[in-house]
Formats: sequence, structure tokens, C-alpha cells
Amino acid sequence: MDFDFSPEEQKFAEEVDAWLVENRDPVVMDHHRENFTQLSDTPERRAFMKKLAAKGWLGMSWPKEFGGQEIEGVYEYILNEALSKHAAPQIGKGVGIIGKTLIRHGNDFLKQKFLPLILDAEIEFAVGYSEPEAGSDAANMQLRADKVEGGWLLNGQKMWTTSAHFADWYWVGARTDQDKPKHDGLSLFLIDMDNPNLEVQSLPTIGKDTTNQVFFDDVFVPDEYLVGQRGKGFQMISEALDLERFTMFTLSPIANRSEVLADWVKEAKRDDTPLKDDTNVRRTIAHIMTDTAVAKALSTRFVCAAKSGGKPPTIESSQYKLFTTSLSQRVCKDALDIQGHEGTIMEGQDDAPLRGRFEGAYRATMNETVGGGSSEIQKNIIARRHLGLPKNF
Amino acid sequence: MDLDLAEEQQMVIDMAKAMLEEHCPTQLVRDMEDDADGVPADLWKQMGELGLNGLLIPEQYGGGGLGLLEGAFVYEELGRAMAPVPHFVSSVLSAKVLLAAGSDAQKDAWLGKIADGSAILTTAWLEPQRGQGEKGIALEAKTEGDGFKLTGRKRSVPYASVADQLIVLARSEAGVDLFLVDPNADGITKKQLLSQGREPQYQLDFDGVTVSSADRIGEAGSGWSTWNAVMHEGIILLAAQAVGGADRCLRETVDYANQRVQFDKPLGAFQALAHYMADASTRIDGGRVLVHEAAWNADQGRSISRFAPMAKLFCCETYRETTRACAQIWGGVAFTIEYDQQMFFRRAKALQLSWWDTPYLEELIAADVLD
Ligand SMILES: Cc1cc2nc3c(=O)[nH]c(=O)nc-3n(C[C@H](O)[C@H](O)[C@H](O)COP(=O)(O)OP(=O)(O)OC[C@H]3O[C@@H](n4cnc5c(N)ncnc54)[C@H](O)[C@@H]3O)c2cc1C
Repeated sequence: MDFDFSPEEQKFAEEVDAWLVENRDPVVMDHHRENFTQLSDTPERRAFMKKLAAKGWLGMSWPKEFGGQEIEGVYEYILNEALSKHAAPQIGKGVGIIGKTLIRHGNDFLKQKFLPLILDAEIEFAVGYSEPEAGSDAANMQLRADKVEGGWLLNGQKMWTTSAHFADWYWVGARTDQDKPKHDGLSLFLIDMDNPNLEVQSLPTIGKDTTNQVFFDDVFVPDEYLVGQRGKGFQMISEALDLERFTMFTLSPIANRSEVLADWVKEAKRDDTPLKDDTNVRRTIAHIMTDTAVAKALSTRFVCAAKSGGKPPTIESSQYKLFTTSLSQRVCKDALDIQGHEGTIMEGQDDAPLRGRFEGAYRATMNETVGGGSSEIQKNIIARRHLGLPKNF
Repeated sequence: MDLDLAEEQQMVIDMAKAMLEEHCPTQLVRDMEDDADGVPADLWKQMGELGLNGLLIPEQYGGGGLGLLEGAFVYEELGRAMAPVPHFVSSVLSAKVLLAAGSDAQKDAWLGKIADGSAILTTAWLEPQRGQGEKGIALEAKTEGDGFKLTGRKRSVPYASVADQLIVLARSEAGVDLFLVDPNADGITKKQLLSQGREPQYQLDFDGVTVSSADRIGEAGSGWSTWNAVMHEGIILLAAQAVGGADRCLRETVDYANQRVQFDKPLGAFQALAHYMADASTRIDGGRVLVHEAAWNADQGRSISRFAPMAKLFCCETYRETTRACAQIWGGVAFTIEYDQQMFFRRAKALQLSWWDTPYLEELIAADVLD
């Protein structure tokens, strides 16, 4: 047993950290953006991703023949944790979901066209799985793809496509076979976001940023932009999630909030008495720090399982996501309880404690227990696949 | 023992409900968010005409002279509607402070106007880096000649931009004193601070503001005991408000859970979700009766030193937990501005943190039980 990174991993972690300190830029790295820090949605953030690409840090785990370094996924984990700790954009959809799926299933045309762009940080993607009727039940997608001469015609609607308002390309699941069982009738496509028959409508959230719904009105997609085999869409989506465990949901932003809170409590006073002398506050901080350590333990557990290269660490990652997202919300709630009436001053104002970091985070984290597989879905997975309890839905 | 409502009590509820349904649609609540003044003229006028603004004020001052129990009925409806009105600071806190300790001249000057809604009074209580108890009052009232000079900073003063008078809690040589102060007096600067509940709140800086001793409410040094007694009554109404908000949030969620289908079933068919709703409903129903019991005890002239903080503690926690569970049940849409869930979600937490927060209430209850 060894809880430390190997010397090489440790060296890499330190290198990344030092580089991020050196390249610190408040325009690119802003903790108040909370979960939206991970997106490279502005020219400054895109330029930052170019710098990461120049360091050779994009696609490290890819095979050499596609420009990767064939090193272990744990390096991407280390990288993403460091990026999110500094509130910088993260490597995500392109290197992970799209790149890895294209490498395994894409035709040569798609590989040649997209993989170099991903490695150079020249391209941003939006991922469109969810629809009004396909949330937790992702296989229930209804977006219709009809075969026409030379390609496909797509009609319908996507919901919750984060990044659609700035992305260059769209990774979309659609129903190509209406008569087959719902898991077998789906296929994946890549679509140019400039397509005039796509209409993006923003869906503002109570977090800092916006997501989108996207409407398809006779969107033509040429044959070569079908990814992998027709009808294998759902399998590829699930496989991509498994391949992506390493980078899916970072702990650093949550650990960061716990530390920011503890640091604030160390200095804060109420009625001229140090807040840290208050027994209730001490207990709350003790519990937050303990739970943060457990979240770290659960993350260590799935990283080690993923490193072992055996079957995908589905249970480990479900347990990690379940525990960590609810902790994340609890930290924000507890922080506001500690701050009391001053906690109600809205985020972004100098008069608020920590400029309202926790008032904002209380809102921004509301979605964590829903997006990317809700807590109830994680519990179903743990109950059925781990404990062997009967399926009841 | 009997929990049935008398006919007149049911009438109060029906009247408030019908008026709010007509004059306080959710769109109005949204429109008032972050507004500098935040008082919708039509709604406020309606409330005045129906006698709601003077509900708790004795008839001799033009009010309805009703008790806290009727007040709780109305507050549950205000909570349900998320009504954006200065009723609590003006018609409850300020009116009760004046009734409890005001001079005849002070009462005559303001109670009638509060009752008909033609004047709005608000309270300037909280301060930066200070708590919600007596020790928290640090704004200085320095004796000068026949009067005082006020210097210091107040936070979270609701509706200060439209208020006709402030009731300021200040620290004098005698202890805590309450003063009636013109919000436009020389030396007062107001700055709006946006808040989680999104009602208008102001930071007020007092730079040597002159008040005369005739503007003090009550005996020298009696301010905190007046405020403490009034707050005990007031928080029962806020507990009712929390019950109303939680109840509406839950009902809308139950409707949604019956309609929304995933995996070929309505969401409510998943026990994982049904149990959240069952928990919330149990807390809401229990909380409501606790509120009524607290209000009833107050109206009977019995002590509410334990019931009042218990009611606010439990009902605000219920409101917050209900909005959390309901947001989970709605899934992604709860996170959008477009859906109303987020409005309950923010208000529930803001209400829990304001007007005596959880640690303060816990201490009041523990002290009542143990000391
Ligand atoms: C801000 C934001 C960004 C997003 N970004 C993207 C994106 O870029 N691309 C994309 O494709 N999607 C995205 N999503 C969609 C996200 O993955 C979905 O919101 C999520 O899958 C849940 O779906 P839903 O919102 O429709 O909720 P629903 O599926 O309707 O769930 C509602 C409730 O029912 C519960 N429930 C459902 N099924 C069961 C069951 N079997 N047992 C017990 N409980 C159950 C859920 O846990 C939840 O509590 C985003 C969502 C949000 C809010």
C-alpha cells in the first residue's frame, strides 16, 4: 500500500502546479465561476488551452500513432485536478470523450480531421445527449436522423447542451432506427455548429453561466460524419463515460472551498470574539474536513481501480460522485450557516464576506447532484451492481 | 382540544389567499427581485384596503386588532405567494415596537399610517461582523446636549429607500436604545446590497446623525428587552411564512412528479423520490401546527420564550430542506432561472439566515430548557 504518487507522478504534479502559478491570470482563473471554470469559453481561456497544448499536456494518454504519449490516465487526472485547483479551464470533452471515441471507433477521415485539432486546442466541442424526454433515461433520445442521399437529415431538439453557444463542433446522439429497441437505435454524429439549421437558445441558470437548448430543423449531416457504426451510439456513449472516469469530476474545487472556509474562519470575528472559538463552528469545520478527507479517499479508491486497468471502476466512481457532490452542497450550506446574516449578501459584492463566494456557490452547486448522472441514479447503480439488490424500475 | 378553524379565521385565510392569487402572481415577484425600492404599488394598496397592513394593530389606531394566530394564517399565505412587501418590518416589527414602548406621540404619529399602508417603517438592526444578539449592537449613540449623535454602520436594512422612518438599534451609555430616525436625515448614506432573497436591502452609514431624546422609544437602556420581546412574536410569523413557502414548493413538486416520465414511469413512482416528498410533507404539517400552537400561546398571554424560537428553527429548516429535496426531484430544470424552484431555494436559505439564525435560535431554546 502506498498513498503517495510515484516519484514520476509527483514530479509531474509539481511541474504542473509550478507552471500554473507562473501563468496565473485572474481573467482565465476565477474561483467565483465555480463549476463553469472548466469551460474554455472566452478568447483568453482558449489562448490558455493553446499554451497547455504547447506543453504537450493534451492527449497524453492517447496512442503515439495519433500524437499521444501513451502514458497512464492518472497523469490526466493529476493535470485536471491541478487545473481545477487553480480554477483554470480543464481538458475535457475533446481529449476525453470525443478524442478517445474517435480513436477507437471513428473512420480515418474523422480521425485525420479532428484529432490534430484537439491536440492543438484549436477546437471546442459541445456534447448533446440530453433531451426534454431523455434526462436520466438517456437512452430515450428522440432526435430523429433520417437517411437521405449522401447523409442524414436531423430533426428534433436537444436540451442542456452546455457550450453550444461558443463551441465549434457538436457531438450528438440521434435515433437512426426508429423501430429497434431504444438502446439499439441510436447513433453518434459530429455536426458543425455553424450549420444554419441549428438554432441555439440559451437557458440561463442560477449558477454563474448559461446552458442551452438546441433545435434541429432539417440539419444535413454528410455520411462521413457518422461516428462508428450505425446503431452503436448508446454503447459508445457508455464506453466513453468509462474511459473518462479519470477526468470526469474533480475534487479540487470542493477541497478548495473547504480550505477557503477554514481560512476565513481562522481570521473572522463576531462581536469582537474570534469565530474559531465558537464550539459549533469548530464542530462544523471538523466535519467538513473529515468528509473532505473521505471524498479524497473515495477518489483515491477509484483512481487506483482505474489504474489497475481491469474492468471499469463503475462502482467506485458512482460512490465517489454520490458522496462528493452532496458534500459539495453541504459545505456551501454550512459556510452560509457560519456566516449568518452576512452570508445572505449576494456574490460579487465587496461588502460580502469572501465577496459572497459561498452565496454564489450555494446556487452554483445545486445542480451537482443532478448533472452527469443524478444521486438517485448513482444509488441505483451501487445498490444493484455492487450490492446485488433487485432492480426495481 | 381542537384544531378546527373558526369561521372568521377561515375567512381571513380565504381573503388573503384570493387577494394574493389575484395581485401577487409569480411574475410580479420576479419583477421585484433586485429592484431598488421593491414595493409593488398595487399589491401594497390592496393589502392596505383589506386591512392586512393593520391586522395586528389595535382598533384604536385604525387596525384590525387581531392576534398572532390570525397573523400566522396570513403569513403562511404571504410565504406561499413569496409576496414582496415590507409588511414584516413595518406592520409587524415597527408597529409592535411602538405599541410596546412608544410614547403616545410616537404611536399617534405612526401607527395609523402603518395600518393603512400610507407610511412604511423599517428596522436598522444588524451590523457587519456582529451577531444577532444584544452584544451585536455597536452603532454608537453618543449623548450630546438634549439628544444623541448616531455613528456606525447598519447592514441588511430592508426597504430603506422607501421607508418613512427607521427604527435604529443603537448603543448608548444606558445600554441598547431604540430611536426613530428619518432615513433622509443629514449624515445617513444608503447603499443597496443585493441579497440572496433578492428583496431590497441597504447598508446604512450613520455619520454623527442627530436625534433628539424625544425620538428614543421607551426608557433609556430598555431597547434590547423591547426588541427581544417583539422579535419573539415576529419570528412566529416568519415560521408561518416558511411553512407557506415550503408547502407550495412541495405541492408544485408533487404535481411535477406525477407528470414527468423517465424510464416509462412518472417520477413519483420511484420510491427514492416519493420518500423525500413524504418526509417534507410530514415536517410541513408538523411545523404548521407548531406555529399555530406558538401563536395561540402568545394570544393566550402565555410565555413563548421556548415555542417561538422552536417554531422558527424547525420551520426554516423544513423550508430549506424541502427546497433542497424538491430541486433534486425536478432535476436539471430546477437550476434554470426560468423555473420557479430556484426562487424558493434562495428564499428558504435567506429566511433561515435572517431574523435570528439557526445557532442563535438553538441557544435561545437550550437556555430556556437548561438554564
Ligand atoms: C447546467 C446543466 C448542464 C448540463 N450539461 C449537459 C451537456 O452538456 N450535455 C448533455 O447531454 N447533458 C447535459 N446536462 C443534462 C444532465 O445530464 C441532466 O440534467 C441529467 O441527466 C438529469 O436529467 P433531467 O434533468 O432530465 O432530470 P430527470 O431525469 O427528469 O430526473 C428528475 C429526478 O428523477 C430522478 N430519477 C430519474 N430516474 C430515476 C430512477 N430510475 N430512480 C430514482 N430516481 C430517478 C432523478 O434522480 C432526479 O432526481 C446538463 C444539465 C444541467 C442542469
